[in-house]
Amino acid sequence: MSNDNSDGKRVGVVFNIQRFSVHDGPGIRTVVFLKGCSMRCRWCSNPESQNKEPEIAYNIHRCLGVRHCGRCIESCTDNAVFCDENGMILINRSYSSDIFRELVEICPTKSLILYGKTQCVDEIISIVEQDSVFYFRSGGGITLSGGEPLLQREFAVSLLRKAKQHRIDTVVETCGFISWETLREACTYMNRILFDIKTLDPVKHEEYTKTPLEPILDNFNKLKETYPELPISVRTPVVPGFNDSPEEIRRITEFVQKYKDTTHELLPYHRFGSQKYSFLGRKDEMQKYLHK
Amino acid sequence: MSVTAISDILSPHEQRLLNKQQGKEDRFHEKHQRVSDILKSFDGLRPKIDVERAKYFTLSMSQTEGEPLVLRWAKAMYNIAANITVYIDEHQLLAGRVGHQGRYGILYPELDGDFLDSAIKELPKRKESPFTISDKDAFIVVEEIAPYWKGKTYHEALNAALPKNVHKLTYDDPNGLISRFIVNETSSFRSSIQWVHDYEKILKRGFNGIKAEAQAKLDALDIDSPLDSCEKRPFYEAVILVSESVILWAKRHAELARQLAETETNPQRKKELLKIADNCEHVPAEPARNFYEAVQSQWFVQMFSRLEQKTGTIISNGRMDQYFYRFYKEDKESGQLTDEKALELLECMWVGMAQFVDLYISPAGGAFNEGYAHWEAVTIGGQTPEGRDAVNELTYLFLKSKREFPLHYPDLAARIHTLSPERYLWEVAETIKDGSGFPKLINDEEVVPLYVSKGASFEEAYDYAVSGCTEARMPNRDTYTSGGAYINFAAALEMVLYNGRMKKYSGQDLGIQTGDVTKFTLWEHFWEAYKKQHRFLLRTAFIQQYLIIKLRQEHFAQPMGSSLHNLCMKYALDLHTPQIPEGINLGYFEYIGYGTVIDSLSAVKKLVFEEKKLTMQEILDALDCNFEGKEYIRALLQSAPCYGNNDLYADEIARDIDFLSVEYGKKYSVELGIHNDVRYVPFTSHVPFGKVVSATPNGRRAWTPLSDGTSASHGADVTGPTAILLSNYMTKNYGYRERAARMLNIKFTPKSLEGDEGTRKLVAFIHTFCDLKLWHVQFNVVNKETLLAAQKNPELYRGLIVRIAGYSAYFTDLSPDLQNDLIARTAHGTLN
Repeated sequence: MSNDNSDGKRVGVVFNIQRFSVHDGPGIRTVVFLKGCSMRCRWCSNPESQNKEPEIAYNIHRCLGVRHCGRCIESCTDNAVFCDENGMILINRSYSSDIFRELVEICPTKSLILYGKTQCVDEIISIVEQDSVFYFRSGGGITLSGGEPLLQREFAVSLLRKAKQHRIDTVVETCGFISWETLREACTYMNRILFDIKTLDPVKHEEYTKTPLEPILDNFNKLKETYPELPISVRTPVVPGFNDSPEEIRRITEFVQKYKDTTHELLPYHRFGSQKYSFLGRKDEMQKYLHK
Repeated sequence: MSVTAISDILSPHEQRLLNKQQGKEDRFHEKHQRVSDILKSFDGLRPKIDVERAKYFTLSMSQTEGEPLVLRWAKAMYNIAANITVYIDEHQLLAGRVGHQGRYGILYPELDGDFLDSAIKELPKRKESPFTISDKDAFIVVEEIAPYWKGKTYHEALNAALPKNVHKLTYDDPNGLISRFIVNETSSFRSSIQWVHDYEKILKRGFNGIKAEAQAKLDALDIDSPLDSCEKRPFYEAVILVSESVILWAKRHAELARQLAETETNPQRKKELLKIADNCEHVPAEPARNFYEAVQSQWFVQMFSRLEQKTGTIISNGRMDQYFYRFYKEDKESGQLTDEKALELLECMWVGMAQFVDLYISPAGGAFNEGYAHWEAVTIGGQTPEGRDAVNELTYLFLKSKREFPLHYPDLAARIHTLSPERYLWEVAETIKDGSGFPKLINDEEVVPLYVSKGASFEEAYDYAVSGCTEARMPNRDTYTSGGAYINFAAALEMVLYNGRMKKYSGQDLGIQTGDVTKFTLWEHFWEAYKKQHRFLLRTAFIQQYLIIKLRQEHFAQPMGSSLHNLCMKYALDLHTPQIPEGINLGYFEYIGYGTVIDSLSAVKKLVFEEKKLTMQEILDALDCNFEGKEYIRALLQSAPCYGNNDLYADEIARDIDFLSVEYGKKYSVELGIHNDVRYVPFTSHVPFGKVVSATPNGRRAWTPLSDGTSASHGADVTGPTAILLSNYMTKNYGYRERAARMLNIKFTPKSLEGDEGTRKLVAFIHTFCDLKLWHVQFNVVNKETLLAAQKNPELYRGLIVRIAGYSAYFTDLSPDLQNDLIARTAHGTLN
């Protein structure tokens, strides 16, 4: 194993670190969410994960408004934030995240959120290690999720390598839409991979995720050939109106059953992400489909 | 596989309630037919006072004045045993209740009889744990019982003995009827702290065996010795008399059972009644010969113990899966007993327990123990005296009973150690997931070495039994019985802010004048001021405790309890004696408001003295108006590091606070002759204690509940349940032995523990709790929606059981304040 020091210092953009995660791999885990994704799934429950760059978000429900607070407006010399007629905050998202970074610090209620923080590997490992007593008993460890965690290839690999060095169990959750070289390299530092297969219908896949299906299935096959020992859990989010028909699910299950040591897990669709769309000033496209 | 929305995952307990609402029969109903029928006869009824115990006790005591107290007590017990009404309930297989049918409570006028007059009028109206009483019985209380005790109760003696400066922080009125909720005494609402008898002694030897032992000791006394004549003789005579009392009481049940059998037309029931008669004729006088007799014998002992004295939070049951095991095993091997029959007998005991309600006369007692609190802890699991795992087949029956017949009696405590078998942990986890709050977990890896360091042998420490809410006792080594002080340290914090005063008691100098807080220029000044107030409250508590220890032996005796204790029998001393040779006095005082104080200090330190984002004056102004219009300041204060997040900034403050108590205890416990150690177990008292504390710098609004036990402030733990365990670990001073229990509540959503995978993770979580050497943890596995629905439609959720504070209670029996407190506890699920 090479470059211990450089691994620790390597930085990436992370938008959340979630302790006591019990649904993303074996045992009690800490999930590190890396920012950036090449897919644009209509049902995405982590919209803040999609863009690689840090993004400003605003939770109006927590904000005290200018009547009680307004500190962000006072300290902002640009017009990045201003207020509406009700005294609530409006954001000009065209400004760079550097301007918002200071405002986020000032906001006492954490209504202003900057999704995406540049952190180094050592810093993340030290947070992850805080729960190591729980990993030891539960068989848990670190899970890289996203976005697509392997898009930040060097950072992700450094993180995995460092985790292995600290004897932490590693899991990666991937959408499968990445270069084979990246996947191949990352797999050498993984104890398990969670591989999303959303549908086996290429047309639908393209329509709903904005990415082709073929490279994903290619990667999946190569993975099984190159790393036959690596446990794979195929995960399918069951999305109303997209793939929630019994035939659709059966096709995926049959596909998975062809492979050895591969399990299949269905994830129920949830709408926890829906308010994050409004925080980011975007529209949750899924809503209109759900109400059909 | 079906697709389910997240909140659709219900715990089995929630599912049962739903079934009931939809008129479906519980799937275990048929299997538990007998006890379900008994349960139906009293479920949901408001408890009623039975005055017989108080009446016969008072009558006897009025005739024995001047005699040695322990003997007077035995005579009073004899009078009760001979005259109290005896009952055998329909369908019941066990005999022995100490009050009328339905849910009932009994009175102990020797304790706090000076409250009785007013209490009888107030109790039915009280918001917390109300009771009713018939007009006839109310008359007996007011005319016959209360007058005798005027000027004689323990509470009046204590009230008179407290020096002015201590009284001021203890009571709010000259008669000591209203609590200050600053340094609260609890010794006047129970005769003893929680306790466990050595029940095995009775199963092995019977009361005739105890009586014979006392007789032999009596015969061996030195007739020329004045000490033997005046001290030891009355003690052994009392033991003989009290043994005869229990036996007499049991035989009266045998007589009644025979009478009932004569007129019984159902041949099956007739047979049962005759069996009951046989049992009561034989036990507890003689050693038990089989499982049924063992259960009956133990039941008589614990019920008679309830007649003898008001043990705080009800007498505990000890290690039932150990002392019953021999009988269970023999009977099963000989084909006399099946698991179903064993369960039925145990559950007959549970429904018996459920009808006895621990009645608190004083308003403070009621508020401390809401929802008719009870901790008759049954201990399971753990280790044998040799230090091997102790789990057996009977252990699993107790867990099964909780899952199939989820009554919140008895309180079930599971001992955990590093080598607890996987099946045991798995079934414990499954039972927790059931959702009615059982069992609570107590950690051998913390308790055993700690008790050895406090003076126990390994055998005794390994054999400890959980007692009451979170405590652990060694029934033949522990000798401490005085109730300890509950100290409101959020009040200490308030006294720092207002130079020794509190808003609730405006104009009165209560604490130390530590100076004008706005003049403090360094964090150290603030911290020093807190230390002074903290120490001041401890000083007050220790003086209070010193006097309590001195006074109690003049007011209380427990000849039966003492007869079951090796040291009492050896030295002819009643268990209420302050110092018993070879005994270990495990006392404690409570730290109330841990999270509240930590988070407040953290906010002040960070925002005023380090980041200088706020001035002390700005905080005071915000507190003064209870944050009305000061939302910005409140939000800023709440953004400071909080306890419960595994955040070292807050956790270091927390450990320093803990150290203040540990250090003080180490130095001054010696003078009390006990281990007076810091404990963090509020029961439900964080609610009434919060009612005297104005707004605090952690953003808590005035008069709202303080944080409970060692749990985080409401909603302040945002990092998940692993962090709250780690915060607990980080804030303990493991190098010192001056610590007692820490209570920890964790709430999970059923979804986060779903399926076998969820159980596996809960088991791992429990393992880690054990590794971290934390004392206690208990779980609520419930959806917030269920609690909110129950608050709105209580009649539909009468059966909803929730975990409160070392015990479970019906949610709808709780006051709105406490219901809201429970709802506000952070639930841990997973977000992604």
